[in-house]
Amino acid sequence: MGVRCIELPGIGTKYELETEKGDKVAIIFMGSRKFQLYVLEKGKGAPSAAELTAAEARRLGSLLSGAIIEAEKEAVEIAFSALSDLRIRVHTYVIKKHLAGRSIAELQVRTKTGATVVAVSRKGKNIINPLPSFTFEDGDIVVAIGDTDQLEEFEHQILGN
Amino acid sequence: MEEIALALFICLILALVSKRYSLPPIPFYIIAGIAIGKSGLAIVPADAYSQYLSSLGLIFLLFYVGLEMRPKSLRERGRTILLSGVIDLNVNLLIGFAAALLLGFRPLESFILASAFYISSSAMAISSLVENRRLILPEAETIVWMMVFEDVLLILLISLFSAQAGNPLTFILLTAAVLAATVLIVRVLRRPIKTILMRTDDLPSLLTFTAVISSTYLAKLLKIPDALVAIILGSSLAATSGAALDRLSQPFREVFLVLFFVFFGITIDFSGGFSPIVAAVLCILAIGSKMASGILVGWGLHGSALSGIEIGANTLGRGEFSIALAAIFGSATISATVAILVVATSLVGSFAARYSEGLKDWVSGERMRAPGTPGGAAE
Repeated sequence: MGVRCIELPGIGTKYELETEKGDKVAIIFMGSRKFQLYVLEKGKGAPSAAELTAAEARRLGSLLSGAIIEAEKEAVEIAFSALSDLRIRVHTYVIKKHLAGRSIAELQVRTKTGATVVAVSRKGKNIINPLPSFTFEDGDIVVAIGDTDQLEEFEHQILGN
Repeated sequence: MEEIALALFICLILALVSKRYSLPPIPFYIIAGIAIGKSGLAIVPADAYSQYLSSLGLIFLLFYVGLEMRPKSLRERGRTILLSGVIDLNVNLLIGFAAALLLGFRPLESFILASAFYISSSAMAISSLVENRRLILPEAETIVWMMVFEDVLLILLISLFSAQAGNPLTFILLTAAVLAATVLIVRVLRRPIKTILMRTDDLPSLLTFTAVISSTYLAKLLKIPDALVAIILGSSLAATSGAALDRLSQPFREVFLVLFFVFFGITIDFSGGFSPIVAAVLCILAIGSKMASGILVGWGLHGSALSGIEIGANTLGRGEFSIALAAIFGSATISATVAILVVATSLVGSFAARYSEGLKDWVSGERMRAPGTPGGAAE
């Protein structure tokens, strides 16, 4: 399952992977921050292709690495190649009205659920590692980190879903 | 001055149309040039002013060729490139040369015409591979590297024709001296050049533009073609920050090249020794010979003639380099013939590349489903 890497002068770089089942997948990085994704089904002559922007390619990448994406709720699972047992999930949630004005300390996020809020996006501004005194506002998008159970607890106990 | 604005405006419209229908823009620029120039309505004359601006297009194109020269990666892929490149060169140059001689051109003219006949358009090959989504095919790799080989040949051909025009010995000495001097200067100034190219103000573009333009001055001073100086400069500057220079010179290259193509069309003169029959014969041969060399390369490298159809179809279009050779070295007759050759092959090539799948199906159907499994490119 090795990835073949070929330089294509004037175009970019091509990464090619032949899957266990014999299908072929190729990704071409084009200099102008564009990507082309090819799939060639085993035994078929003509490939299918899609052209992606950098943002689309990133989304696709996190999908393929095992994440679920819903409109504003999205999760990424991080796995390290050297620590294959360690799986960390990073999930985004939208803060609803009933949590507005309450702080992370007040809600006892970590004590109650085990999950940690690592970032908040508020009107396009990002706050990384918010302090316990940080108060939520309606519409904040929070990024929480933890394992699957902890994030479920977070959804139940804090967000009340 | 206002003629240039008019020419550019027409090209802008044509570029929009050609993008809309995914067609190569070069033939449209040439046709537009012919229509508004000497052989057409004669509303846009080619004066010294426009000549200079369009010559910049050529300089930027060749600077780019030099910049993209990668002797190292060429050597790494040595055998494959050599095999496909040599087949492509031999088949097309020989057919082109023989045809030109038989059609009544003098030997030197025939050689220039054969060079224009041989050299495919890298720009068209690359954009057709990207737009027709063919990059997964092993043939795509062969095609792109064939274009790299052709770039090297372009440099050799330009050197050869330039050497032949004057005293070969002084020419070789002068060129070698210029090459050595540029490489040396760039090596000494490598750090400051890199630092300037990394700045975020207007200095990087100013440096790029000045460097490229100054090659025309240097060429005039030393009496060697500015085309060659531009290539030398590009290849030696690649050692500083090639990617940045490529990005910085791109807007200049794009605009001036359009002017170069349209003014090439404007100066075309069909009233001299140009013969439409000769041009038509050459066009048909040009299509046939690239398909033939493509099939040979397909056989040799991918073990399949069907692969060869893909290669032939994508390398069929002649474009910027054929025009460059005709513009620098060709007579009026050669330029007119090459203009027709470029227009015909690039349009036919564009459709052949788009429908290459159908073309392959048709051929394999004709041959009772010949095994068409394209093997991996020989490493």
